[in-house]
This record gives sequence, C-alpha cells and structure tokens, in this order.
Amino acid sequence: MGKAAQPALLRGTLDLLILHALQRGAMHGYAVAQTIHLLSDEVLKVEEGSLYPALYRLELDGAISSKWGLSENKRKAKYYSITKRGKKLVSEQQATWDRLSTAVGRVLAR
Amino acid sequence: MNLRGLFLKIVRRRRLRQDLEAELAFHQEMSGQRNSVPLGHVALIQEQAFDLWKFNFIENLWRDLLYALRGLRRSPAFVISALLSLGLGIGINAAMFSLGVEFLFSEPSMRDPSSLVSIRLGSNSNASSEVLEFLRRTGIFSDVVGENDEALANYNNGAETRRVFAVYTTKNYFTSLGVPMAEGRGIIPSDSKETVVLSDRFWRTRFNSDPSIVGRNINLDGRLCMVTGILPEQHRSLLGFGFSPDVYMPRWLDETTFQLYARLKPGMSIAQARAALKTVAKRMDSEIPDPHTKYSDSVVIMPVAGYERFATESELLPIGIFFLVLLLITGLVLLIACINVAALVLTRNSARRSEIAIRLSLGAGSKRLVQQFLVESLILVLLGTATGLVLAQGMAGLLARIQLPLPVPIHLQISPDGRVLAYSAVLGLLSTLVCGLMPAWQSLRPVITSNVHREGGARLRRLLIMAQIAASVVLLITGSLFLRNLVNANSISPGFDVRHTLRADVNLPPSAYSAPQRRAEYIRQVLYQVKAIPGIQSVAAARLTPFTDNVSYGSPLRFLDNGEMKHAYFKWNAVTPEYFQVMGIAFKNGRTFAERASGENVVIVNDIFAQRFLNRRPPIGTTFQWVGHSPYRIIGVVSGTKTVTIGEDPQPQLYQPLNQIDNDSLRIQFVMKSAIPPVLQLEPVRRVLYRIDPMAGAQVETMYSSIGLAFLPSQVGAVLMGMTGVLGLLLAAIGLYGVMAYSVTRRTREIGIRMAIGASARNVSRMVMNDVLKLIAIGSIVGLVIALFVTKPLAMFLVPGLNPRDPLSFAVVALVMILTGIAAAWSPVYRAIHVDPNIALRYE
Repeated sequence: MGKAAQPALLRGTLDLLILHALQRGAMHGYAVAQTIHLLSDEVLKVEEGSLYPALYRLELDGAISSKWGLSENKRKAKYYSITKRGKKLVSEQQATWDRLSTAVGRVLAR
Repeated sequence: MNLRGLFLKIVRRRRLRQDLEAELAFHQEMSGQRNSVPLGHVALIQEQAFDLWKFNFIENLWRDLLYALRGLRRSPAFVISALLSLGLGIGINAAMFSLGVEFLFSEPSMRDPSSLVSIRLGSNSNASSEVLEFLRRTGIFSDVVGENDEALANYNNGAETRRVFAVYTTKNYFTSLGVPMAEGRGIIPSDSKETVVLSDRFWRTRFNSDPSIVGRNINLDGRLCMVTGILPEQHRSLLGFGFSPDVYMPRWLDETTFQLYARLKPGMSIAQARAALKTVAKRMDSEIPDPHTKYSDSVVIMPVAGYERFATESELLPIGIFFLVLLLITGLVLLIACINVAALVLTRNSARRSEIAIRLSLGAGSKRLVQQFLVESLILVLLGTATGLVLAQGMAGLLARIQLPLPVPIHLQISPDGRVLAYSAVLGLLSTLVCGLMPAWQSLRPVITSNVHREGGARLRRLLIMAQIAASVVLLITGSLFLRNLVNANSISPGFDVRHTLRADVNLPPSAYSAPQRRAEYIRQVLYQVKAIPGIQSVAAARLTPFTDNVSYGSPLRFLDNGEMKHAYFKWNAVTPEYFQVMGIAFKNGRTFAERASGENVVIVNDIFAQRFLNRRPPIGTTFQWVGHSPYRIIGVVSGTKTVTIGEDPQPQLYQPLNQIDNDSLRIQFVMKSAIPPVLQLEPVRRVLYRIDPMAGAQVETMYSSIGLAFLPSQVGAVLMGMTGVLGLLLAAIGLYGVMAYSVTRRTREIGIRMAIGASARNVSRMVMNDVLKLIAIGSIVGLVIALFVTKPLAMFLVPGLNPRDPLSFAVVALVMILTGIAAAWSPVYRAIHVDPNIALRYE
C-alpha cells in the first residue's frame, strides 16, 4: 500500500516483534504496543498507524487470530493470539534476524 | 486473498468497520489513560485497513460504474453511435463464427454422439446388409446401424407427385442412436417397412404442423407408409454439415446399400476399435468376399462429429482455412469499429479535459483514472456485445436461410451456444482494451501543457483514421477479389453446352421398378417419346449429369498388351450413345457407343484419362482389365468436362454404355438438346414424363440452372467477403466523417479568421479536402501494401487464372475509397465554408 505512513520500524521487523510479543499469550493491540515498548527498555515506540495495519495483515496471512473479549478494566477489547502458522513464522524470522543482526554487528565492529 | 474470504468480508463489511472503530477507540482510551503512545491518525488507519481488505478497490469500481453510467446517459448520441459500431463489428464476427462452428463442428442430435463412429471397409463407401450383419455379429461395437442418404422418394399428396429427399435406414437406427423426437416415436425394429419419420420442415410445409398426422398413412413411392413420428426442429443429422433430408424410412429394396455407423462400447478407444476391425475385415475377405474390393485393404473408422472428425478428415481442412480467413477478415471489421469507438471516446474525453484536470489536481492517481476510463469502455463493450449477439443471430439466420443451389437439402441450425458466447466475450474484452486504453493513455499524458495535449489528440486521431482506411482497403480488396472470382467463374466453360440443353432428373418408385428390365423399358420409352416433342433435337439418358452428382473410382488398371498395372483415379458415368452429341462434347478420336450392346465391354475416356494413364499407347483399341476379369476396350476419346466445381483442374473421366452396366439405381437422368430456348421445353418434357409414369417424381430444369452447384464456392465467397467488405467500408466512412466533422469544429475559429481576412469558400473547401485526401492517400497506400501480402494465401480459393494481386481490383478499391472519403467529408466541408466569421471569432 503505497500510501501507508512510514512505519517507525522495518516492516518485517515489526511483524517479528508483534509475533514475539504474542507468544507470551493472547493480548489486545494496546498491550502488544506496550509489551514491545517495555521489552525494548522503552526504546521502541510502536505507533498505532503501523501497529493495526500490521495486525490486520498478519491476521489475513493467518499468522494470528483474533477474538473479542473483556479487558482488565472490564472494557470490550479485541484479543489477538498467535496461531501455529505464526509460531512457525516467528522461529523462521528469528533465525533470519539473528543472522542479519550478527552480520551487521560484525560489519560495524570492523 | 481467496474469493470466499473476499465475499465474506464484503458481506460483513459494516461489522468490520464497527470492529475497527471500537478497537481504535479502546486503544485511544488506554493510551489516553497512560499517555504513553502518541495519538495516531484514525482515518488513515481505517483507510489502510480497508485497502488491505480490498474494500477500496471494490468501492471504487462500483463508484466508477455508477459514474460512467451517469456520464453515458448524458450523451445518448455518443452511446448510440458507439453501440452501432461495436454491435455491427462484434455481430458479424459472432455470425461468421457461429456459421463456421455449426458447419464444421456440430454434433448430431443423438444420445452420446462422441461414442459414434463411421466405418468404411475396402474401396466402397457403402456396404451391403451382409457386411452390416457380419459386423454386428462380431460384437466389437454396442450396435451397428446403416443409413443411405442418397435416396429420393416420390411423395404423392393425391394431386401431384413430388420428389423428396429420403434417407433409408436400418430399423434399429432410431433406437440405437437415441434420436430425440418432437412428436410420436422413431421407427423401432418390430415396425413394418411401411413406416416413415418426417423432418420438421417437411411436416411444416406439407402438413401444416398438424400433430394428428402421427399414426396416419402418407403415400410415398406408391406405398402407404405410417408416420411414426416427427423430428424436432433443431434436429442435426448424422452426416452433419446441415444436411437435413425430408423423410427417414426403412429401406425398401434388399439391394440398397448402407453407409455404416456404429456405437463404440464404453471405454473402447477408436484405436482399439480400428485394430479389432482390421482382424474382422480379414475374416470378411475369406468368409463373404466382394469381387470388387478387399475389405482389409482399407479400414477407415472415424468419429462422426465435432473436433475429432475435423482432425481426422483432411477434406475439411480447406473449409476450415476458409472460415479462419473469414474470421480474420471480419476481425478487421471489428478493428475498424473499435477505432471508431476509440475516436469517439477521444473526442468525448477532450471535451472532458477540465474534469480530468480537476480530478488529477485533487490527487486522483493516474491508475484510478485509467481504471475509470476502462470501466466506461467496458460498459460500452458489454452493451455493444449484447447488441452484436442480437445482430449476429439475425445475420447468421439470414445467411443460413439463403437457398443455396444444392442438390441436397442443407439447413444449418444456428443458435447461440457457449462457444459463440465465449468467442464474443473474448472479442469484447479485446475491444475494451482497444477502445479504452488508447484514449485513456492519451488523455492522461498531457496535463503538463494543454496545447501539447490537443495537438497530440488530433495526431492520434489522424493515425487511427489512417489505420482504419488501411484496414478497409484490405477488406475491400479481398471482397472485390471474390466478386471478380465470381465473374471469372461464370465465364469459364464447363466443357459442355449449357445454353441449348435441359435436364430431367427422375426417381422411379421402387415398388414398380425393382426389376432391371422394367427400368430399361422406362428409359426406352422416355427416349422415344421425348424425341417426338417438337424442337427437341436429340435426347440421351445418363446415370449422372455433371455438377449435380459425381461418382469417382480409384482402382488399378491392368493393360493387356504388356501387363502393366497402373493405379487410376477417375470420374465415372454411364450414358446412352447420343449423350456426347446432346451435350456438345467433341470426339477427339474414335466414335460413340453402338445402339445395340455387343458382348464386348467398351468404354469412352476423355483426353486427360488418355494422357495420364495410357502411357503413350494409341488410345483407340487399348484394352485393360478394371474390375473383375473381363477386358474393357477404349473406342473413343472425348474432350473433358468439369464435374464438381467450375474452378477445378481437368479430371480424368471414363464413360460406359448405359446398357452394359448393371443398372441398380432408381435414379436416372435425361439430357436433351433443344432447337428453341430450353426454358420453353420444360413443360412439354414434364408432361411427357408424367404421361409415361405419373408415380415417377421428375425434376426438369434447364442445364444452365442445374449447374448452380458449380458456382457455389465462388458465390459463397463473394457473398461473405463482399458483405464484410461493404460493412467495413461503411464503418470506415462513419469514422472518417466523425474525424472530419471534429476537425472542422476544432478549426472553426481558424477558418473564421481566414475568411475574415479574405479567404474564399473555394480556398476553405480546398484546405479541408486536401486534409481528407492526404489521410485517404496515406491510408490507402498502407492498405494496398498490406493487401499485397494478405491476399497471397487467398489464391487457393480463386479460380485458376485470377491473380490474387489483380491490378484491376486494386485500382477499383483505391477509387472507391477516395469517393467514399469525399462523400464522408462532404458535410463537414459544407459546414466549413458556411462558417460565419463573426460567430467563429467569438467561438470557445
């Protein structure tokens, strides 16, 4: 989608982060953003402008599924959980990411 | 995304939107509480999600559709001219396509036609009932049936006797083939010989579609036959090609031979059946030998219909090629029509320039605009295709109804089927691209400077019109070639006298004439009594007359002088001695047959036969063995005649005396030479024939009208190609008119200025005319060059001696094009010279 706002993160990276976050269990969109924010020691901020399109795309791909439920403050919220296909995807992408990041690290170390 | 998912999303669209809103609201609420995630752009997210779900695409499409419909409704003149162009273009294509498909690929109206095969054993096309029974007993096939479609019957309605086209069948014909009936039932094996099934046409024309005829008796060949049923109107016969005889009846004489058809057992392939049939043919050679042929020499088994028959029967190939060329030619007509529409759309779009500019400046992507233009042309083409299909139905019906001068009844069943619809859909799609893409691209390119755009648009339109002229030149040249072909064919001599002769084609009722002596007596009577008619100079009997029917033999000849064997293929006829004198066929050598048969077998051959097979022997007295063991001696050499088509190469011919052959046919023909115009002799001859036997159906006609079949290929070609050419010219003239009218309107201001500073009407008209002539000249030259290449493969359809690059046709076409151009430009020119400078300067 050419018109999309520039994501704060590389697209593939955001997908990986979302899937990784969801591996801890089902959570709503806001919680996903929060989890990533906290886990990155408050370095990464995921804006909803990129978060929700990414979530919908992952859902269309069948990597995650969604269900309406009640949030901790008793509000209706949409809970996302990772599917089998998503788990497979996350391990693949993690391996790719590891290779990439060590490679980049090596280059920058020299 | 799969279609089902897409569909579900469309259905649940509202809920998805509500979900999205609720979710974003929740998110904002949460982040508002903790204030840690910045507020995003709700509308943008929504749009992205909708893009993801493909809603926008569909909504845009829907919006474009409504928008286009509204726009089209506002300009009915544009819509009507576009629809007419497209309708005619697609219509003629679909019509030709359905004719070709019906003629070449139709399947008989019978149960499971793909499992039906036709069978030919040995060199005979027909087989005796002995062979048929033998085949049935082998059990290779589920069933074997026979039909003899060369039969005629005499139908007597109480007042007069008429010849009708009959098919003799085996009694299991209707049950085995599974022929659906409109009324009553088919003939069943337990029926008597006196039964008959009528065709819908015969029932309609003779019995006024009276359903109570079923179960009643009608008089055929002097016998009362019970009508068991009526075939449906859309019945397609086993033979195909639109062959539709009047009546089907069980064979009457035991000698009647059959063309064999069989139904394959389930799971059996044609190759397997062929292998089995070969073994059977060998057994037949030893158990029921035929003196004339060996069954196992040639075992032919092929599908009766559809694509398989086309693939196996090589004789159909030229017809297939002809239809293909025809489709290419009519494709050109469609191209011209599309160019017309494209030019119209272009004109319309240039009037919509400001609208397009506004949309572009508001941020519409060019992809979106192209999509909108394409949607517009898609609507046009859809409507055009529908118009075209209606027109095609009319045109094909009209073409199929043209009565061809054929000796057999041919009626093609033209009905729109899936194939025609699919073909039209493909044409429609291509037309959309031609009509829509070019103008769309043209109107987008330019926004940078509007002047460039206008010039560009005009240039493109001129290019289009030149392409159109070129295409119609090609069309006209093929059309005129076929017209010239028709003229040339008419001037070719068939090799016999057609101006002073007439012909009677008699079919004897089998009940009274089953004995050969009775038939010989009848012939003697006719020869004697017709000769007594005043003005008749001579009369002869013959088994065949050229162009109405033909029999050919392909068999080995063994010459008795040195034992040489030669395989010969020749046309055959059996005639009485005066035949050559009546027909004006000259003797090159020798003499005609003697009145009384001697014991010796004699033949007369034509010069081609002598050249090709006799190997420089002096023809007279040469003796050869042909069928069986008795020798045949050549006693005369005559000049050749054409036999099937007027354009054919000279064929070897062999004549036998009628009284020396075993005349097993109930059909006999008489030829007469008249001192007065032959058309005046029709009635006297009819009266004499009726007096001799009122039960014998006779068709009497002048030789000139009976050779119509000879001109069939050139007539069909001339009608189809000529029609296409005229249609193309018409469409091109409309296009030319449109372009010139537009160009004059565009230049109104310029013309006004010119006239204001002193240009005369003549100057202005010359200016506009020059413009037209330049377009026509360039277009015609391009067209003529293309035609030089395109017409080359057409040579195979033309009579010998006609050059496909016939300079006369080319010159005439160029002239016609120029005249048409001037006619089309006339009204715009008239408007141009009547431009009032005062108004023109205020224009725009």
